Amino acid sequence: MAQRASKKSADPAANQESAQVVKDLHERMVRIRLFETEAGKLMEAGRLPGFLHLYVGQEAVAAGVMAALRDDDQITSTHRGHGHAVAKGVGLREMYAELYGRVTGACLGRGGSMHINDLTRGMLGANGIVGAGVPIAVGAAFAARYKGEDSVAVTFFGDGATNIGAFHEGANMAAILGLPVVFVCENNGYAEFTPQSGHMLLTDVADRAAAYGMPSVIVDGMDALAVHRAAADAVARARAGAGPMMIEAKTYRFYDHQGVKGLRHPYRSAEEVAEWKARDPIDLLEARAVADGTATRAELDDVWQRTRDEIAEAIAYAEASPLPDPADLLLNVYSG
Amino acid sequence: MTIVKEAPAAAPNVVARKLTYVKAFNEGLAQAMREDENVFVAGEDVAGYGGVFRMFDNLLDEFGPRRMIDTPISEAALVGLGVGAAARGLRPVVDLMFMDFIGVCLDQIVNQAAKMKYMFGGALSVPLTITTASGAGLGAAAQHSQSLEAWLAHVPGLKVVMPSDAYTAKGLTVSAIRDDNPVVVMLNKVLLGSTSEVPEEIYGIPLGQAHTARQGSDVTVIALGRMVGEALAAADELAAQGVEIEVIDPRTVQPLDTETMFASVRRTNRVLVVHEAVTFGGLGAEIAAQIQDAAFDHLDAPVLRIGAPFSPVPFSPVLEKAYVPDRARIAEGCRRLLERS
Amino acid sequence: MTDVAVEVLLPKIGLSMQEGMIDEWLVVTGAVVAEGDALLRLATDKVDVDIEAEAGGIFHPVVPAGTTVPAGALIGWLLAEGEQPPDPGGTPMPAGPGAGPAAVEPVRVVAASAVPTPSGAANSPNGSAAPRGADGRLLSSPNARRVAAAADVDLTAVRGTGPGGRILSEDVEEFLADFPRGLVAPAPPSASVSPLVRKLAKERGIDLSEVNGTGPGGWIRRADLEAVTPTPAPTPAPTPVRPGAEPQAGDVLPLTGMRGTIARRMHASLQEMAQLTHGYEVRMDAVVSLRERLKEEWADGDLPVPSLNDFLLKAAALALRRHPLLNATVREDGIHLLGDIHLGFAVAVPGGLLVPVIEDAEALPLPEIARRSRALAEAAREGRISPALLEGATFTVTSLGGYGVDFFTPVINTGNVAILGVGRLKDGVEWVDDRPVRTRVLTLSLTFDHRAVDGAPAAEYLRTVGELLRKPLRLLV
Repeated sequence: MAQRASKKSADPAANQESAQVVKDLHERMVRIRLFETEAGKLMEAGRLPGFLHLYVGQEAVAAGVMAALRDDDQITSTHRGHGHAVAKGVGLREMYAELYGRVTGACLGRGGSMHINDLTRGMLGANGIVGAGVPIAVGAAFAARYKGEDSVAVTFFGDGATNIGAFHEGANMAAILGLPVVFVCENNGYAEFTPQSGHMLLTDVADRAAAYGMPSVIVDGMDALAVHRAAADAVARARAGAGPMMIEAKTYRFYDHQGVKGLRHPYRSAEEVAEWKARDPIDLLEARAVADGTATRAELDDVWQRTRDEIAEAIAYAEASPLPDPADLLLNVYSG
Repeated sequence: MTIVKEAPAAAPNVVARKLTYVKAFNEGLAQAMREDENVFVAGEDVAGYGGVFRMFDNLLDEFGPRRMIDTPISEAALVGLGVGAAARGLRPVVDLMFMDFIGVCLDQIVNQAAKMKYMFGGALSVPLTITTASGAGLGAAAQHSQSLEAWLAHVPGLKVVMPSDAYTAKGLTVSAIRDDNPVVVMLNKVLLGSTSEVPEEIYGIPLGQAHTARQGSDVTVIALGRMVGEALAAADELAAQGVEIEVIDPRTVQPLDTETMFASVRRTNRVLVVHEAVTFGGLGAEIAAQIQDAAFDHLDAPVLRIGAPFSPVPFSPVLEKAYVPDRARIAEGCRRLLERS
Repeated sequence: MTDVAVEVLLPKIGLSMQEGMIDEWLVVTGAVVAEGDALLRLATDKVDVDIEAEAGGIFHPVVPAGTTVPAGALIGWLLAEGEQPPDPGGTPMPAGPGAGPAAVEPVRVVAASAVPTPSGAANSPNGSAAPRGADGRLLSSPNARRVAAAADVDLTAVRGTGPGGRILSEDVEEFLADFPRGLVAPAPPSASVSPLVRKLAKERGIDLSEVNGTGPGGWIRRADLEAVTPTPAPTPAPTPVRPGAEPQAGDVLPLTGMRGTIARRMHASLQEMAQLTHGYEVRMDAVVSLRERLKEEWADGDLPVPSLNDFLLKAAALALRRHPLLNATVREDGIHLLGDIHLGFAVAVPGGLLVPVIEDAEALPLPEIARRSRALAEAAREGRISPALLEGATFTVTSLGGYGVDFFTPVINTGNVAILGVGRLKDGVEWVDDRPVRTRVLTLSLTFDHRAVDGAPAAEYLRTVGELLRKPLRLLV
């Protein structure tokens, strides 16, 4: 069975060390939050084409994991991938430009929201196919080991994705090949509009890791520090050659499956949403930081303000960017 | 049967050495692995066992378990492993054993490998080679006998090659591995034991270049994979009756060298396309459409397609024989195209 | 006037006619035509003839003048007042060549209601030219259309041999071999002259721009050419009429019309038969002296004095009665000895040669043979011979004596088994004891089909002819 991570470390040294980490996590979460809320507004204003699967509410997971990674560590993401990209350091300008379908975008306007990537940052792409990123991360980890590098690969997926074959095949493959892969399940309780209880009989997705001889841990996905600690452990383990591990982060998305309010389908109760929003991961982290003196309110507010400015600039950049030339439609279908 | 052999690009000594199709594949793969340290092979029973068709014989001995990887029966993870490794700069060769199994990993091929470069704005390449055995004729029945090239040729970003003999089995495999795109190498099970002259040196056959296997003036026969040999046999039969057919082996069905076809059709004015796959929606339909588009005014007869009937591949040898096109049907088709009152 | 659209079909004139060119329409589109009015001038491989309407109506052509079409093809309509020509989709094609009776066949006018269905017609075994699909569309392959367009060939004139009668590029190429470019295409829209007239004008060196066309819409008819330069009167026999303009080196003489027919038939003859030729010298003293007497005695009478050739014709015909093996035709099932003796005799005409036929020649008195041969030759040379008179020879006599030829190897007309060549009348020598005596002789060249006739019977036949010529009185009756 999965280990349940303790909510708080009893080790004072760890708490001391986390002062840096808290600021790092906070900054990553604020960037995600503002990126997503602004994207949601732009979408609702009809200024962005296509679909948007927004990450608001789950920031602690992306931030917590990414803070434990190096630039050369690889991640594969999901259809709800903006948070991972932002936390991994992908440029906001390129991300917005991509959402706008501009030629300056992360995919030159060819991919859109679900294919944002940045190879220089180890971001192997969001993915429009549920579960498909799992085997790809396994391959990235394989490549690292093949080349004698000590980088690891992290694959993000939701609770719903653990019902698809690619997840199971990838988990088994990573385990049997002993590859440095960290499996991060962001369990937000819903596969699109279906609650977890409606798509699996398990309470904890992490139990599935046992089927592949893989250790796992369950963390509070609204607690960035907890996520970070678990991720740091799993990454260190993988980097050391001890093989893959799974982290299940229990979290919640504040927005609808798609867009902000989506089709307003009443699949979640207002009480449930309110309950989770009361545990907003950013609020939780800020409250703790202020309480234990890790950061002042002013410092935190400054992060918000700086990030707002950066977001506004990125949006302006995207809007000013040229559209792709239809004459280049066939660009990059093939190499060579 | 005679195959007109071209001088390989690397101009190795042309040695009159005959090799079986499967050994030629194996030799090309081994040479490509020696040529590039980033090439590795993964698949079910490819290492220890050497592949169920002996495609990977002896490779474990030479390259060791680091580069010859036995995997679980997990085609989705296998191809995904290839995609991820290719995205990180390796040149994986993943083996799907039977092409029929492609259904369980089609997402990784179609939605991941094929599109990744495009979706990512050209940020990376996916130099992935997928090898698989296709074709009917061994009594392997409906789930182990298909030729599904049309599925794959339909997907932008993929390349698909269909070696028709030992020479092309080696050269196309080498080119597939050297290519920076995902390439599916459709080996033909019936041809595995067939022999033809194969140079000892490593050589590639350019992808997307058709080969005129026999020149003729009366009918152009465009044949895929194993049907090339059948078409050449039909050509011998027809030549005895005074009919000279031109046999074109596209070798690569994606990208498809239509220019060679058009040029031939403009000379012969009659075309037959033959493949093992079912006729409906097969490559023949695409080729016919392109020919009528580019060479309509040069046609003296509608483009004739010969393929399998619209049914799963049957098991019983008598049914299977009736199912797969052969030289007799090709010859009959040519005669039909030339029919005059 | 008819009250329903009737078809005008290209008449099949004689057995061998396969196609004909509409030299010119003699009435304009929309003209009211009465039964018996001349409708068109038809150029066949043998003759040009005016074709009369077999019914009345408002004339509506469906092919332009200058078009070559197979016998039996639809070439126009005769419509009732206010009636539109039927949709081409409903254009039925009649059965192809060979379907009609053997005799001269006038314009066939078939009631529209009585025609076969188009699809059935398109599948006719003879694969009529201008095959049409069920929708009435001309069936031709794209490549055939491309080749035809490049060579200016009107596809309606081409016989399709592909599936369902589809015209293939090979059909166009074969058509072109028979009818080189420029002579078969329909006249361009602005053209005011038929190809035949154009050809004649070229032969005669007439600038068509200076010719006043009197035909419908200003079309230049053949008669209009005559107004510019009257055709030279036929030179009297024995010199055959030469074409108005001598062929020059570098010219390409098209294998069309009569030339094409000759080319095809001669080639076919040599392909089919095992031909060889006997030479045989015959004494002509008696014939020559008899002719001298007849010239005197019949000088004032109605009876024409037979020519040497006429004697030869009669002798040949009588000898055939004794040697029926040479009056035969070879068919698949064997050699058919023919009851009738119809003698063809070759007449050189401008641009080729015609073979008028004297029926039952062996039964005709010599003066009648003389009369007929003269009339037929004249008609042939003047291009006004009825095609029927060119049909049905069972044996042929051809003479090159007038050109100074002694011996030659004539080519058998297809369908026959022998042909008799007549050489130059010349002086011979007969040794009477040791004394040379002057004789009159000529050499006969008998080509026979060795499939049907062996060398000995052929020689026997020649000897019989020689004997008849030595005693020519019996030839007179």
